[in-house]
Amino acid sequence: MTFKSLQKTAGFTLAEMLVSVGVASIVLAAAVASSVSLQKSFSAADNYFATHMQQVRIVDYLSRDVNRGLSVTTSLDRQTVSISVPNYIIQAGDSEAMTNPSLIGTPRTPTVAYTSGSLQINYGASTSTVVYSLNNSSILRTENGAVTTIASSTDQLIPQTTDVELANTEYTSTAVTFMPTFTMSGSPAARTGTSLYGTAYLRNKRRG
Amino acid sequence: MRIKQGSDSGSALICVLGTILVLSLIAGNVLFNCITRYNAASGQVRGWKESLYAAEAGGDLAYAEIRKTVFDPTHAFSGWTNSGAVYSNSPATFGRDNLTTSATVDPFYYDSSGNAWYRIRAKGVAPVLGLTRVTMDDRVDPGTRGDSLLRKIDFKYDHFIAAYGPNGDNSGKAIVSVSRPQIARRVELIAAPVTPFESPIKVLTSFYGPGSAALIDSYNSKNGPYYFGADNPSDPHYSDSHSGDVSVGGASFDLGGDIWGNVTTNGGNVTPNTRIHGTIDNNVPFTIPPYVMPSNLPPPSPSLTKITGNVTLTPSTAGSSGNPNFYLVSSFSGKLTIDQVGTAETYVAIHVTGDITGSIDVKPNVHVKIYFDGNVSVKAQDIVNESGLAGNLQFYGISPTDPTATQSIDIASPGNFSATFYAPSADFHINGNPDVTGAIVCKTFYENGNASWHYDRALAAEGERIDYRIVSYVEDMR
Repeated sequence: MTFKSLQKTAGFTLAEMLVSVGVASIVLAAAVASSVSLQKSFSAADNYFATHMQQVRIVDYLSRDVNRGLSVTTSLDRQTVSISVPNYIIQAGDSEAMTNPSLIGTPRTPTVAYTSGSLQINYGASTSTVVYSLNNSSILRTENGAVTTIASSTDQLIPQTTDVELANTEYTSTAVTFMPTFTMSGSPAARTGTSLYGTAYLRNKRRG
Repeated sequence: MRIKQGSDSGSALICVLGTILVLSLIAGNVLFNCITRYNAASGQVRGWKESLYAAEAGGDLAYAEIRKTVFDPTHAFSGWTNSGAVYSNSPATFGRDNLTTSATVDPFYYDSSGNAWYRIRAKGVAPVLGLTRVTMDDRVDPGTRGDSLLRKIDFKYDHFIAAYGPNGDNSGKAIVSVSRPQIARRVELIAAPVTPFESPIKVLTSFYGPGSAALIDSYNSKNGPYYFGADNPSDPHYSDSHSGDVSVGGASFDLGGDIWGNVTTNGGNVTPNTRIHGTIDNNVPFTIPPYVMPSNLPPPSPSLTKITGNVTLTPSTAGSSGNPNFYLVSSFSGKLTIDQVGTAETYVAIHVTGDITGSIDVKPNVHVKIYFDGNVSVKAQDIVNESGLAGNLQFYGISPTDPTATQSIDIASPGNFSATFYAPSADFHINGNPDVTGAIVCKTFYENGNASWHYDRALAAEGERIDYRIVSYVEDMR
């Protein structure tokens, strides 16, 4: 009989095992939970930044069209904006293009007309209309029937534009908000906190 | 007894390192995304906005040159390249981010007074700072691009020249590489001449208006001769009758009669009353630069150098608004009659280097501009404009080069007349009760009597250009 083999048999008691497994589970659970939480947090931050970029794009699109606009009207809920813009580029089907197809895609030479004692610069016989509208989670830009999605987010992007027409100038103020995924409660304050503002003047309606 | 120490190795360190690794990967991924978006926000959005600023700065440079054609003709477009009627400048670099701008200018239209309307095409280029890549938000949905569609960044090649040619007219298309990522934006502006008679009475400093029996109103000669219809909304000329505006660049304003139009002063104390049938604004400052002799007139004809006694002038040719029959006259004390050339609309310009004390008779279909260096002192009946169209007889007072020198226009009764006066350095006096059809721009305005003024709205599109203004703005978004 020898005691050597007994000496080599190392082990934990049941109590030790229970304690160690318990501690390990807690540590692992904490690690997983924090990891998931961090990932959600990072994802929300990433999403916030991405949506913010969409806000910037919406404001930039609007300002570009308002700058060159002849007139702007907004809907009562301020979510649909219609802008009348000059027909600067000759398109297929325009009268100039019918007589000379090579003019398609070229800038149009303006004409001058006097109406009731005031001057008017015209690019072609008619104007184009650009409409910005909200469609579910997408912001649409429609020019002469061609629809472009300029922004789309699950964060409920909402642009609201106000048109201010004065005696000798006109401008639009736009506020774009979204509901960040950080916020579990969906409180209005969370949306307000994301507001991005933009102001654009109609260059064709100048002072003096 | 010897107890062998076991080789127990803990996995805690590995677990910690593994956890840190996983979290670092997540954080790194998020950071990478954020950096990319920051790159777009700070670099591409900035470049996109700055390129518009650059383009508009180029438009401003061109606009300044166009204004020089009025105020400093000898230096207008100095340093620009002229090809045909098109002026162009070399790209100018400016700003902390080395923005560049260039512009072309061409007169695309001449109005009935011979004034050129200019088209400005300006291009602005801004570098795109930061990483050379499209943004992560470029694809909005499977069929739509976002930022690329809006900002059109040239990373390696100039997309505009490749697709539309350097002038955007589909000619000269070429693959042209760019030295650095850039955004170019192009705007087209229209500079229109400012005509002198856009309102009936414009006074730099003080206005002492008509008496209680007189009025200032308007009509439009294109819709028929003048009659009073300002108090009858059902009258077909009613809409043309309320443009009898009075603009005063100072605070001094006195009035006895009716004004069927708006009143503006600069610091005045005009209050609503039954005599002013329009709006009142006491906070409208303005300046009018001194008037200089136009430089675009043809050489003077030697056939008329003095107007003494009775002189009848029948030009050799009808001329045109931009190229009238021009005469340089040293004195104007006699009676001048200007006849029409056949049945053609006839255009005459006279530069009087002295005073005007004589009389003038302008036959129908004759368009006369009189530039005077001295003073005017006549009776209303000495100004005969047979067409009744004020735009057919225009007086321009050349501002004295000595700013302390004075210039005066004195008109006395009896008689009525149709004419316009543009004399921003002159003191204007009118006595009695002439009935005037026309407009006036002067330094001071003083009426001693009951002279009525009827502004012809057709004058807004007539007269020698006195400045330019931007009236149209279009961006070439391609």
